[in-house]
Amino acid sequence: MNVYEGVMQTLIDELGRLPGIGPKSAQRIAFYLLKVDALDAKRLAHAIEEAKDRVTWCRRCFNISEGELCAFCLDERRDDHVVCVVEEPRDIVAVERTGEFRGRYHVLQGAISPIEGVGPEQLRVKELLARIPEEEISEVILATNPNIEGEATAMYLARLLKPAGLKVTRIASGLPVGGDLEYADEVTLGRALEGRREVS
Amino acid sequence: MLVTADAGPATSVGHLWLANFRGLGEIDVELSSGLTVVQGANGQGKTSLLEAVGWVARARSFRNVTDALLVRSGATEAIVRAEVTTSGRQQLFEAEIRVSGRNRILCNRQPVTRARDLHGLLRVTVFAPDDLTLVKGGPAERRDFLDELLAMLAARYDAARSDFERVLKQRNALLRAGVREEEARFTLDVFDEQLVRAGAELTRGRLRLLERLVPAVANAYETLALDLRPITAEYVSESSPVPLAAADADTIEDQLRESLVRRRRAEIDRGLTLVGPHRDELHLMIDGLDARYQASQGEQRTLALALRLAGHVVVRELAGAAPVLLLDDVFSELDAQRAAALVRNLPTGQTLLTTAGALPRDVVAERTLVVRDGRIEAVSP
Ligand SMILES: [Zn+2]
Repeated sequence: MNVYEGVMQTLIDELGRLPGIGPKSAQRIAFYLLKVDALDAKRLAHAIEEAKDRVTWCRRCFNISEGELCAFCLDERRDDHVVCVVEEPRDIVAVERTGEFRGRYHVLQGAISPIEGVGPEQLRVKELLARIPEEEISEVILATNPNIEGEATAMYLARLLKPAGLKVTRIASGLPVGGDLEYADEVTLGRALEGRREVS
Repeated sequence: MLVTADAGPATSVGHLWLANFRGLGEIDVELSSGLTVVQGANGQGKTSLLEAVGWVARARSFRNVTDALLVRSGATEAIVRAEVTTSGRQQLFEAEIRVSGRNRILCNRQPVTRARDLHGLLRVTVFAPDDLTLVKGGPAERRDFLDELLAMLAARYDAARSDFERVLKQRNALLRAGVREEEARFTLDVFDEQLVRAGAELTRGRLRLLERLVPAVANAYETLALDLRPITAEYVSESSPVPLAAADADTIEDQLRESLVRRRRAEIDRGLTLVGPHRDELHLMIDGLDARYQASQGEQRTLALALRLAGHVVVRELAGAAPVLLLDDVFSELDAQRAAALVRNLPTGQTLLTTAGALPRDVVAERTLVVRDGRIEAVSP
């Protein structure tokens, strides 16, 4: 339904493509942007451009990064021998908030999901395997989401890594069934990290 | 035992507000804590009223229609608000059911993000004219019947069912895409293990439920039909040479694993999951004969009523509170004798009953609502 013309409709369409934004919200945001100060609107446009230009994937862990390596990979106080595997960069935030983890990260950039055509080859699994001897990693914590896809990914990795003689743990499920890691409250996740168990 | 009984008074819906739910306009009504009869000609909105109450319990329609179809044509959303009393505690349920599919549900003004979090708020037992399919229809009808009861009884089995369905979808997608290379086989191994875990959990739940349910069905059948021939049931799974019982709970995982090994070739060839509780069958028998094929229509109808009644009784026992009974136009399908038997054996507790015509004798309404053209035309008393 194209009620508006030209650039206005284009703006609404573009906003409507964003995750979590329906047609009504897209319209509301578009009108809001028209009303705000021209400088404010330009600042937003600029921020998007800058982020697109400057943010890339960390060469080592595939977190978002402004340089070759992300802040976590650069931080020398972190334990090199323990790596926490997560699905998305935003999951790092959830683990960091617990204050319980001082090792490194590895971002898979997704989870195994045949429905979406995502197998291990589409994830950063090869890169994880390469890091293990290179960085002398001795423990891997699997912090993929506690849903079917996250569990499948954790099981896959555990079966792959265990024969290499690594300590492989899965964060204990104090997490809600079917929920996403990022929604878990901090206390639960903190406890989950303390109570991580070895997976078979 | 499935869950620890938490004795308390029956669950009930007090005040009910609706807007644009199916054919209904605005409804603002107080239901009786006993029997409320909803009268009206066909197509006026009687069933919709029951369906709205059912929606509160399951966050979806008991007729298995998609939410978008529940919104009155021309409107963008339907509103369902209900005061629900559970174990003596009054709670306010509010839902906006949207055509866009992005529903909003609040319980006591707090947002509810997953239907599962509503667990235990309201339980309903639905009797509908097409219940005959429980007996006469394919195995999926009876599996769904069991799984719905399980979901009502324990959040754990509600989770097991949705986990299993998700694993099945993922595993089928993998098999369909083709499993030729070593890499894909390794991924299939992982989904095999997930299928075993979720599948065994669901199967164990069904078997534990059947242990309680079958005697209750036999009991209800005897009372409704005044028939002394025994009702029995067999839960048949391809992974087991003999019908399964609750005592087999510990061996189910291993049996599923063995079946997966045995059937792997066939599954890869056909690109489909052939092993698991989605293919199990519950056979109901009257005097040793399969009721699906070898019973008269009258016997099948009585057995279907007995299944619903038994489900109600089991939930009442295990959950400690009687579910709300929703009887949608059931008497039109029953002969006078069966209707009378059902009325005699209706459990106590809150009941909503729709009818287009006269009610069987002995049915005493505490409140009658007359529905016409999507509105409540009259309330008495
Ligand atoms: Zn990094």
